[in-house]
Amino acid sequence: MTALLISSCLALSACRQQPDPIDYSKAHPGESGSTLISAMAAEPSSLIFMIAGESASAEIASNLFNSLLTYNAQLDIKGELANSWEVSNQQKTITFKLKPNLKWADGKPLTSADVLFTWQLVTDENTRSPYASDFQLVTKAEAPDALTFIVTYNQAYAPALDSWSSLHILPKHLLEGQDIRTANFARNPIGSHYYKLSQWKHGENIKLSRNPYSVLGQANIEQLITRIIPDNSAQFLELMADNIDSMGLDPIKYSRIIPTRPSLQKNLNLYKALGNSYTYLGFNLKHKPFNDIRVRKAINYAIDKQEIIDGVFLGLGINIASPYKPGTRWSNPALKPASFNPSKAKALLKEAGFVDANGDGTLERDGKPFAFEIITNQNKEREKSAVIIQRRLKEIGIDVKIRAIEWASFISRFINTGEFDVVILGWGLGLDPDQYSIWHSSQQSPGQFNFLGYNNATVDKLLEQGRTELNPDKRQAIYHAFAEQLLADSPIVYLSAGYGLTAIHKRVQGIANPTPPAGVGYDSQKWFIPKSYRRNQISAH
Amino acid sequence: MQKSILIKAFSNPLALAGFIIIIIMFLLAILAPWLAPYDPDAFDVKAILLTPSWQHWMGTDGLGRDVLSRMLYGGRISLLVGLVAVGISTAIGIILGALAGYYRGWVDTVIMRLVDIMLSIPSFFLILAVIAFLTPSIVNIMVVIGLTSWMGVTRLVRAEFLSLSNREFVLASRSLGAKDARLIFTHLLPNSLTPIIVSSVLGVAGAVLLESGLSFLGLGVQAPQASWGNILTDGKEYIQFAWWLSLYPGMAILLTVLGYNLLGEGLRDALDPRSQSS
Repeated sequence: MTALLISSCLALSACRQQPDPIDYSKAHPGESGSTLISAMAAEPSSLIFMIAGESASAEIASNLFNSLLTYNAQLDIKGELANSWEVSNQQKTITFKLKPNLKWADGKPLTSADVLFTWQLVTDENTRSPYASDFQLVTKAEAPDALTFIVTYNQAYAPALDSWSSLHILPKHLLEGQDIRTANFARNPIGSHYYKLSQWKHGENIKLSRNPYSVLGQANIEQLITRIIPDNSAQFLELMADNIDSMGLDPIKYSRIIPTRPSLQKNLNLYKALGNSYTYLGFNLKHKPFNDIRVRKAINYAIDKQEIIDGVFLGLGINIASPYKPGTRWSNPALKPASFNPSKAKALLKEAGFVDANGDGTLERDGKPFAFEIITNQNKEREKSAVIIQRRLKEIGIDVKIRAIEWASFISRFINTGEFDVVILGWGLGLDPDQYSIWHSSQQSPGQFNFLGYNNATVDKLLEQGRTELNPDKRQAIYHAFAEQLLADSPIVYLSAGYGLTAIHKRVQGIANPTPPAGVGYDSQKWFIPKSYRRNQISAH
Repeated sequence: MQKSILIKAFSNPLALAGFIIIIIMFLLAILAPWLAPYDPDAFDVKAILLTPSWQHWMGTDGLGRDVLSRMLYGGRISLLVGLVAVGISTAIGIILGALAGYYRGWVDTVIMRLVDIMLSIPSFFLILAVIAFLTPSIVNIMVVIGLTSWMGVTRLVRAEFLSLSNREFVLASRSLGAKDARLIFTHLLPNSLTPIIVSSVLGVAGAVLLESGLSFLGLGVQAPQASWGNILTDGKEYIQFAWWLSLYPGMAILLTVLGYNLLGEGLRDALDPRSQSS
């Protein structure tokens, strides 16, 4: 028995060592089958994205559900469920024509009635969707026949097509008459995309398998397994042990750890893409002294953004001055980020009434020391940014405390209640430049995105104009003016526009190279894993 | 008598080793401002995650801060938390134990049931639950650890009081008309000190570990202040790459806890005639 055990262990370790290194550079034809294993940090709360509104949900749900429209590699709109669409009636009406013979994963037909039902659902008060405002502007929605869906807006609405590209169409026959917030469907969804849910083990993994009724054809990879591993370093250990094929990296892993490890370099392809997102320091504008623009500007001058980009993002970030991805037409090239200038910061604070009267190194106003707390979620980059900011602000006499809070209580206890002074957070943005939900003064109730309490009549007007202006050049001018006003008001300090960093095992082939503007994951249904590279084949060597 | 106890305790080489470790740790912590080669909070974005070298004996962390300096300053926090927390728990333990052991009856019943209730809750989770409602800070950590770890001392003191209060010298003193306070403070308490000292020394080891655990989970000492626990957390991120961030704080916690345990065990052997091993 002992001998048996020992020999089986030996066999195991021999398998693990893989004596022949595999050459992943050989070209292979697309081969269908196999399993791709990825990791994610947070488990989705629901797979109905219009309710969950979180990136974890989007990541899984976007493999299960289709929208009417989608983006191509160059980020131009194209049809997904819709074969064609037509804008008419002075840009107020959109007529979508669905592709024929669409089916749900359970084999039932997918028709314009489902689209209409989805629109009713997202705009329903009971659904409480953070995306409802986009669709509430539709004054009339109708499905005159099984393949036609018509929406009419009160006035031309520029982000309309973008909004229809992000709305997952849900099946009417399974959800009608149910309470969407409690329906079992959120855990056991039926969609129409390349994959369907085959298993969801809470806290462990989510398995998707190919949907035989997929409306867009069949994906190459048979099964997608997403393992839920909250800790990034634990994910990385799994990646090194070859138990997962892909994961998102932080800058240290991307530019320090992997390049120094030949064994990792041999097996992994790294992808870097400037994301449509940025990290910022945001002030609670309803709290004193942050309602004073001089204080906000002073803090902006006191923070060395380049230092944060170098120290936290290891240079993998861009110092920005407008809330858009640098290099796109919406980003205003004329705007320059505030320079690092502590003496200017001190002068501004003095003007605002902050002086160090008692000589203890901390500024006071009306006898009260200038002290506040920066809160952030448990995100290493944000915590490190906070430490750097804390140090810089101490140098000009501001006493800062830092608190990192777990995401769920961060949102419920601080953001939704407005009980915070300063936050470090990030925005991941859509492709349309409309930022009404973040900056318009009407979007301040709990759960809405203007939790900083920004209120500027000029910006409100610009955001309203931007939504109704369909001429791209005029829109560009509007959003440039918006970004300029935002920079002048400094409700936030832009810290960095960051890169999305991804590692994918070299066994996964067919990934578009170079990375298209739509990102690494674009066209992932074309990815494949050649037979000789597959996991069980390797271990059978 | 005190002197002979110390000599007795330190004739045990392990206890002496423990004592020396603790003294060294304290010296390093107290002298941190003079010993630390760098400002512990000063980051240098050009010196991130450097391996140990002559410039940085223990390397640098994810923000380019000198790990040696942070270890020295972190030691102050860890040792202080240990001492103060145990001070609080011992004080509470002595008071409640004395009341229960001296007055007995319903006072004893109430206090002992309270002890039972407290002991029935896993202490680490109790601390986590309390910290979740407070802002994490050094003071809160010390108070919370102190308030949740007094039960052992209470039981010890009560047991000592129960056994001592029937002894002849106590009865004699009482029959001579001594008041409760005099009996407690001049007779009972001084004669119960031995187990209290031993359990306190051992308790410090537990408190140091608890603080490190809480800081590791992000609920203890907050950035930028260093403690061994939160240096270890930073190390966890880069454990495959920056071993020095995990090794040194881990060693420091290990040595301190070991030191207190050795000292505690040695003192017990020296002070308690019943557990004389050699």
